Amino acid sequence: MSSTHITTGGYQHAHHYKSAGDEFEASKQGMWLFMVTEVLMFGGLFVAYTMFRAMYPEMFHEASKHLAVNLGLTNTIILITSSLTMVLAVIASQKGQKGRILLHLGLTFLLSCGFLVVKYFEYSGKIHHGILPGGLFTNTEITHPKAPLFFSLYYVMTGIHAFHVIVGMGLMVWLAVRTMRNEFSPAFYTPVELVGFYWHFVDMVWIFLFPLMYLVG
Amino acid sequence: MAHTAVAHGDNYLNHSHGMMSWLKTLDHKRIGLMYLFTVLGYFLIGGLFALLIRLELMFPGQTLIDPNTYNKVFTYHGAIMVFMVIIPAIPAALGNFVLPMMLGAKDVAFPRLNLASYYIYVFGALFATSALFFGGADTGWTFYTPYSIRTSGAVISVIFGAFIMGFSSILTGLNFIVTIHKLRAPGLSWARLPLFIWASYATSIIQILATPVLAITLLLLIFERVFQVGIFDPKIGGDPVLFQHFFWFYSHPAVYIMILPPMGVISEVIPVFSRKPIFGYKAIAYSSFGIALIAFVVWGHHLFVSGQGELANFVFSLLTMLVAVPTGVKVFSWVGTMYKGSIRLNAPMLYALGFLQLFTIGGLTGVFLATLAIDVHLTDTYFVIAHFHYVMVGGALMGLLAGMHYWFPKMTGKMYLEKGARISFWWILAGFNITFFPQFIVGAQGMPRRYHDYLPEFSTLNLLSTVGSWFLAIGFFWAAINLWRSLKLGEKAGDNPWNALTLEWQSPSPPPHENFLVEPVVTTWPYEYKAEAGLTPVRPW
Amino acid sequence: MSDHNEKHQHEGQEHHHFILPERTAVAVGLALLVLTGVTVWVAGIDFGRLNFTIALLIAVVKASLVGLVFMGLKYDRKENGLIFVTSFLFLAIFIALTATDLLFRGDVYVKGPLVAASGKSQFKKPWISTTELVAKGKTLYEQQCVACHGAQGRGDGPAGAGLNPKPRNLTAAEGWKNGHKATGIFKTLTQGLNQMPVFSSLSTDDRWSLTQYVLSMGPAAEKDTAADFAALKIDPTKDDGGAGAGEESKSIPVEVAIDLLAVPEQKAQR
Repeated sequence: MSSTHITTGGYQHAHHYKSAGDEFEASKQGMWLFMVTEVLMFGGLFVAYTMFRAMYPEMFHEASKHLAVNLGLTNTIILITSSLTMVLAVIASQKGQKGRILLHLGLTFLLSCGFLVVKYFEYSGKIHHGILPGGLFTNTEITHPKAPLFFSLYYVMTGIHAFHVIVGMGLMVWLAVRTMRNEFSPAFYTPVELVGFYWHFVDMVWIFLFPLMYLVG
Repeated sequence: MAHTAVAHGDNYLNHSHGMMSWLKTLDHKRIGLMYLFTVLGYFLIGGLFALLIRLELMFPGQTLIDPNTYNKVFTYHGAIMVFMVIIPAIPAALGNFVLPMMLGAKDVAFPRLNLASYYIYVFGALFATSALFFGGADTGWTFYTPYSIRTSGAVISVIFGAFIMGFSSILTGLNFIVTIHKLRAPGLSWARLPLFIWASYATSIIQILATPVLAITLLLLIFERVFQVGIFDPKIGGDPVLFQHFFWFYSHPAVYIMILPPMGVISEVIPVFSRKPIFGYKAIAYSSFGIALIAFVVWGHHLFVSGQGELANFVFSLLTMLVAVPTGVKVFSWVGTMYKGSIRLNAPMLYALGFLQLFTIGGLTGVFLATLAIDVHLTDTYFVIAHFHYVMVGGALMGLLAGMHYWFPKMTGKMYLEKGARISFWWILAGFNITFFPQFIVGAQGMPRRYHDYLPEFSTLNLLSTVGSWFLAIGFFWAAINLWRSLKLGEKAGDNPWNALTLEWQSPSPPPHENFLVEPVVTTWPYEYKAEAGLTPVRPW
Repeated sequence: MSDHNEKHQHEGQEHHHFILPERTAVAVGLALLVLTGVTVWVAGIDFGRLNFTIALLIAVVKASLVGLVFMGLKYDRKENGLIFVTSFLFLAIFIALTATDLLFRGDVYVKGPLVAASGKSQFKKPWISTTELVAKGKTLYEQQCVACHGAQGRGDGPAGAGLNPKPRNLTAAEGWKNGHKATGIFKTLTQGLNQMPVFSSLSTDDRWSLTQYVLSMGPAAEKDTAADFAALKIDPTKDDGGAGAGEESKSIPVEVAIDLLAVPEQKAQR
């Protein structure tokens, strides 16, 4: 639907806003509100984690030892770096530097691929040893009767996180396509900024997941 | 800023034509109407299930359906009414239409997101409805574990449908918050915001904070069924009561999502039809946030007999009592508004008064249930059912009807037929009380809920309740038919048939596509009503 | 290119957007990596229960860096930061109030086998007989055991008439499967033995009292060995058998229950 648009600096903002700046501020706030929902959603999982950890601390210690700290650490480094490259992509879009936008989006995308590859090895290693969620758990080395719960939490939390990584990668591709179509400029780079927020949030979740899952022992 | 000249008679309804112009619309008014029709459609379906429940309970023993089917029927009734009707009803249907106009804005902050919200809602609703054809669910709308993990049937369809619909609720709330923050008309300071906006604001905050927890709860339940994660499954070492904590962390604030917007409607209607400024404007505004805040710390009162520990029981009982305070503030303020006012008993006001009667009873019985020692006996009985129907139907639905009649002229450009509206109101009020008041009694006498049968001593009152449900149904049908007839037979409404002071009435009825002919500038508080000496009443009663 | 820190609050004007300098971004990125290293290093040092708090604190610092700098909250309107932080408040409420249930149920979660003396015993080293224990045990015996084992403990109680084998003769010396000793009888009461039911619903005190009384009915008791104590996870050097060795299930002391049930006249008679 087209309505009256005001053109400023080459960008037309929607009619019900007074200025492109207002529209940008509104979009940003909308994104922060969305972040709130993500905090509460992942937060629910942290609630389950907190309860079970408080109830079965020794079990958490024992079970956590069976997670590959090195792989977790590698993924943490990957994700933090990707957050940096994402910020650089946003900065480039604010300056209208098309080439740099694509470069940094590409780096972020590649790093995300790396994250998923490491995840793949982690998961397949566990599955190979029968370490599966809850009722599917068949590993015999880990003896605590409640240990399957820890791994359920592990799979669900890192799994939902990985899903968000995949979605983020899709968003980066979308941004890259729009960049190549010259849709962004210093007057309008809102989508890049908002995807940036999303990506930083994904990083934030991992910042908590890593110590809480891998470094309990 | 260029203003498109609005041709005479050009409004949002005839601005563009054809089904696709509606299905692809970004106009919040059209989206609001689409929500309204879908919500009412699901209300009909959920209502039919309710009538079926009452038919089964008309006599002891099996009347019509076997116990397993009965379990599914009350599950559908609950799930449909909660997720597909009351949660979206006022915010998405009335709110979408009215909120931007009340703010003097041309649309919500994110119109495309708004349309997406609608389609997400429809998709989720259809997904959940499809469960009916695949064996359905018999868990109750609360899906308690471990039964919901083990029972066969299309539980996942219902859950996933609710999961999808949750996003619609979240996005509507998100949209409203940004709209209220960013798109207020010049001069519309916080101190001049209409109370419906305050109520919508508080509701939206709850939607943002609570609904995601429902999302993760339902997702975890799906993982329980598919991957046996066991977090809520005692067989694998998990805790089924933890599920209840997760579920009610959303579902209790959800009931305030259901009641705050109708309260906002009442806050608009009562001053207009009392021709008096609202009493306690600040108190009502603050109380909306008080209710929203307390909403988040009381969920454990649903777990009093589920095995929750003593300490938690005590804490939750105490905190639950608190919510009566801001609620009472509102009720007293409304009554105070009417005192020495010049009351006009048009349909919106009748529904508002009906709200006051029914919600007060419902709210007070909530205090009984908050009292731990009493709840131990009353929980899982018909007392609880009566309580929440009084507040949800007596509260939320009355508020919806009040709002629908109040804003009918604005939406359609026609006045509704007053006589038919009044008659249907009385049918609804009488029918509702006859249906649900006996349920307080049988509940207190021990009749359990979600049972397909009951002891013979409860027969008379159950029969009475069923007959009442027919009155109630007649009332709803009458109200709907009356509104439908009003579209054709109602007299033309002016811009402001109620002489109300909020911004939406400064625009033609029906409004033009961009809401206002001239951008409104606010200079006064919207409740500066004075008993107008010498003026004829707006509508004779 | 200019970096503007100011935000124009007036509506309808173009907003100057803050552009984060690339150097700042890289610096924060490096800081995050360093802090990650710190997290791993600290996790290797045993601070006991503090490890969790420390790890969480470092994570909060890292998340704050991401939020304030990468997501620009430091340079943005306060509104957005407030919105974001509020979500954590409600998450905290969720955790705290759920914890009042899950973590404070007390007796429901059994932390160990229900065989050892718990810290709540009012008797010191109850595996050693005292007149007090025996007296208390006698009262309990008359309520709980007489029906099967008989008033003199000869296994001739009326309820045991139909059992095969008959209830044990507690006055005899031979055939005690768990041993005619304190730990043995305590174990039998707690875990049951063949047709002898489990009496773990009785409090630990009650079971020790019964043990001592039963022992007093028969010949001299054998000595409890270290292995016996170990099997029940009791530390005999401690008065209470070692804290956390096992939790008793919550039950109303028998005296209190009797008191509550007795009618006034019966009370007067006693």
